[in-house]
Amino acid sequence: MMAVISLYYRYLERMTGAGRGEIIQRLPMFGSDIERVEEDHVDVEFFPSRPDLFSVEGVARAMRGFLGLETGLPEYRVTPSGISFSIDPGLACIRPYLGTAVIRGISLDEEAILSLMGLQEALHWALGRGRSKVAIGIHDLDRVTPPFRYIAEERTRTFIPLDYDREMTMEEILEEHPKGRAYADIVKNFPRFPLIVDARDQVLSFPPIINGELTRVTGESRNLLLDTTGTDERAVMTAVNILCTALADAGGRIESVDVSGSHIPTLAPSTRLVSCAECNSLLGVDFTPEELSLLLEKMRFSAEPAGGDKVRVGVPCFRADIMHDWDIFEDAAIAYGYEHFRTEIPPTFTIGRAHPVITIASAVRSLGSGLGYQEVIPFTLTSERVMYGKMQRPVNPATLCVLHPITEENTMVRTGILPLLIETLQFNRHRELPQRLFAVGDVVAGLATFQKAAFVSLHPAADFSEAYAVADALCRELSIPYGTEGSEDPAFIEGRRGDLMKNGRVVGTFGEIHPAVLNAFELEHPVAAVELDLTAVPGYPSGLGTP
Amino acid sequence: MELSLNEKRLLKALEQVKSGDPDTLAARVGASRDQVVQYAMLLSDRGLARVEKTADITYTLTAEGTLYAREGLPERQLLARVEGRVPMAELTKHPLSRIGIGQMRKKGWITIRDGVVERTGKDAPGPDELALRDLSLGGEGVRELIKRGLANEEESVSYRIAITPAGEQAAGEGLDLSEEVGTLSREQILSGQWKDLRLRRYSLGTLPKKVYPGKIHPYQRILDEMRQILLEMGFAEIYGGLAQSSFWNFDALFQPQDHPAREMQDTFFLKETVPVPPGFERVRDMHVHGGTTSSTGWGGGWSAEKAEQCVLRTHTTSLSIQHLVSHPEPPVKVFCIGRVYRRESIDSTHLAEFEQLEGIVMDKDVTFRHLLGFLKEFYGRMGFEGVRFRPGYFPYTEPSVEPEVYVDGLGWVEMGGAGIFREEVRAPWGVRYPVLAWGLGVSRVAMLRLGLKDLRLLYRTDIDLVRETPSWHPASPPGPGGE
Repeated sequence: MMAVISLYYRYLERMTGAGRGEIIQRLPMFGSDIERVEEDHVDVEFFPSRPDLFSVEGVARAMRGFLGLETGLPEYRVTPSGISFSIDPGLACIRPYLGTAVIRGISLDEEAILSLMGLQEALHWALGRGRSKVAIGIHDLDRVTPPFRYIAEERTRTFIPLDYDREMTMEEILEEHPKGRAYADIVKNFPRFPLIVDARDQVLSFPPIINGELTRVTGESRNLLLDTTGTDERAVMTAVNILCTALADAGGRIESVDVSGSHIPTLAPSTRLVSCAECNSLLGVDFTPEELSLLLEKMRFSAEPAGGDKVRVGVPCFRADIMHDWDIFEDAAIAYGYEHFRTEIPPTFTIGRAHPVITIASAVRSLGSGLGYQEVIPFTLTSERVMYGKMQRPVNPATLCVLHPITEENTMVRTGILPLLIETLQFNRHRELPQRLFAVGDVVAGLATFQKAAFVSLHPAADFSEAYAVADALCRELSIPYGTEGSEDPAFIEGRRGDLMKNGRVVGTFGEIHPAVLNAFELEHPVAAVELDLTAVPGYPSGLGTP
Repeated sequence: MELSLNEKRLLKALEQVKSGDPDTLAARVGASRDQVVQYAMLLSDRGLARVEKTADITYTLTAEGTLYAREGLPERQLLARVEGRVPMAELTKHPLSRIGIGQMRKKGWITIRDGVVERTGKDAPGPDELALRDLSLGGEGVRELIKRGLANEEESVSYRIAITPAGEQAAGEGLDLSEEVGTLSREQILSGQWKDLRLRRYSLGTLPKKVYPGKIHPYQRILDEMRQILLEMGFAEIYGGLAQSSFWNFDALFQPQDHPAREMQDTFFLKETVPVPPGFERVRDMHVHGGTTSSTGWGGGWSAEKAEQCVLRTHTTSLSIQHLVSHPEPPVKVFCIGRVYRRESIDSTHLAEFEQLEGIVMDKDVTFRHLLGFLKEFYGRMGFEGVRFRPGYFPYTEPSVEPEVYVDGLGWVEMGGAGIFREEVRAPWGVRYPVLAWGLGVSRVAMLRLGLKDLRLLYRTDIDLVRETPSWHPASPPGPGGE
């Protein structure tokens, strides 16, 4: 779940002022994974917490600091555009928040346009949660006339969407346009749809679905209007800040827009007063406030000692991830270099203690191998067909089903292990006989998790006596005082099956598997089988495994 | 070179008769014909006897062939009925017509034109008919009869066994013909008779039958080894349910409610719900505005209903946080190895369920350096000498780190994630000290150790993998004290 960003070398080197070799070498220690190094670009994965790094401009800005070429807070000047933007109160329950900005004097070459498109796409994914939380539109400002209005419009309003040459209603767009179909779910249940229009009622955008063809951005576009709309004000403003700072780095002049009386964006940093002592005790270091400040400046914060152990930190507007002082301390650790920390074993003295459930499972494993059985580790996800249908067993009312299975094979969590062991015999039906297998592990009954063990033996002479002997050995070795009763389990042959009883409760079943079950699993020889509920083992803790 | 008693007996007999066929020798040695041949082969291997093998081929008539030898082949019998021009319809009434007509045409004895059969006159007996009278003629005729199922070919092998000069010499040196014993009996052991017994010797050249010991799955052995390391390092083991509420799986770990992992594409949701626990308000506040910490929180709303929905746990950290909530006082050092779930399409590198090893250390004065030190120690004990650390990102830790280990041939391999629990995670429960946390996808270690290319093989077991993987392997790291 990470964003992969393509960084084109020419643009990256020009923006950073460093060679590709140095950048590629240092990026992993900054917090990213190099995915592929290609001839003209490198694909890099960045963490979802750092959407400001989803563009060449953002990476270059961060690397200039990390490499020590330019440190401290990058300054962004914003002047008023004189343009205003109004928000229709009817959007309050549809898509209430709007962020916007004007970018002038931009001249985008091919690599800058690729970077901008990549940034927009990655922001839609990481910050926008697939456009539901934030959607971004970028327009050629010179094609439209301010002021602009963000309105809740009739669903039958028509305009020409991007990549089309005819007027369509917004409803048609949701049904026919590829972007409409992809994002229809976000708006389709609202009685009116969000729309951005200019002073002459020309359509700029139908957020979060598609822009109008009218304002398409090309290499010739010099002045841009940005809109970000969404359901979360903070995310909407973060998107504006990240896009504006990237476009400013690419050479644009940023101008603010009057939205219901506030000027957006400001691109102003926020301030935090952090404790150097708290940083030191978190990281296990002894930075002075001056040293901490220098490290933070490398990460493009402004930082200065503010008396005592305090450091005043200016957080750039594009940093969406700084929620807590510790987020700043992590950046100090990255600037210091994870490779430079002197590692130390924690002094904490404690006594190791095995969990009884796992200790019992280990005892069963050693018994299983002692009895000549080989362990297997089947999946816990299975299907009703394997668990019940092929076993001729009725569906257990305590079955725990997953809500949206991907395949028919994985629809539920196992309530027993025996069917999975028999399925394992099926996978191995061309392997040498005899085959004696066992498994031990978690099963569920409703929401409760506990452990079972199962044993199967397949060979021409496998029979009830073998199963009984193994069941008896297990119970004796695990100190389970047991009795037996005739079993009704239809997975076994009538007259060749038994239930293991403890205090009036069935805690296990053993016997010879029914030939119809053998047929269902395509097995050609008899199978002797035992399944045991490990909660019957003395010392198995009660009341575990329930949320 | 030690001869078995049987070989000696045969050699003794050969010394007297010099050479003979197996039947004669069998009578002298007191064994069956086949046994004599077997002993002779052994003597031959030692250069003490010579075995000449001749194969004779004999032909015999089948029951049908015997009948035709008496009455003539069907086509010959049928030919007798063809006098001048005979209508085909009449000839087909004859019981031998089915075989006979075809053979007569094939051999060119008759022509059939417009439903009328006439002799060609070229019907002298062929090699098959001659062979039918005398099989010893062999050749083409007999092969034809065999093809028609009228005769059989039998190969009979006969042997001629003769003593060699080396055999003469060996026999001349005297042969001890006292009895050999295969299995020691209780009686022989107790009575002391064993002192006088000749125990049959076995050949090391005969490979033993392969037996497969019952054993623990190689993947489980790796899990057990990790568990052992953590127990030795003073960790207590915890265990808990596969089904967890979203509250403990996500919310308590400060994962925002709109986080992609909480969408149904990535996580197995269940229809069941569990009420949020007492104290949930502090977690809610942390999400909304950061509670009493320096955090801003995620902003937006927080829904208790969403927190109540159950999931198949996506990590065992859901157990660690619950343990921490019930043990808020230091020190706490616990670990868990358990199955976790992701809603993934299954292929060779992705599974919907796999084991995670996960642990926490909570104590006064533990720091990021201790976390790194702990990781280095753990991976070192797992046999990974080279360990390095890179920045990472996890929603519930800060700072976060991605440990990597160096693997020959692969380079640096990512080995899970680690970090210090965010204050937003621990603060709602009155936990006052740092919590070092780390998790490891164990299956990756298992793939490296077992040399597997397909993750599915760990769970969909080919039992030959278990049978053929040694319980102890040089690739296993040195045990305690072995370093």
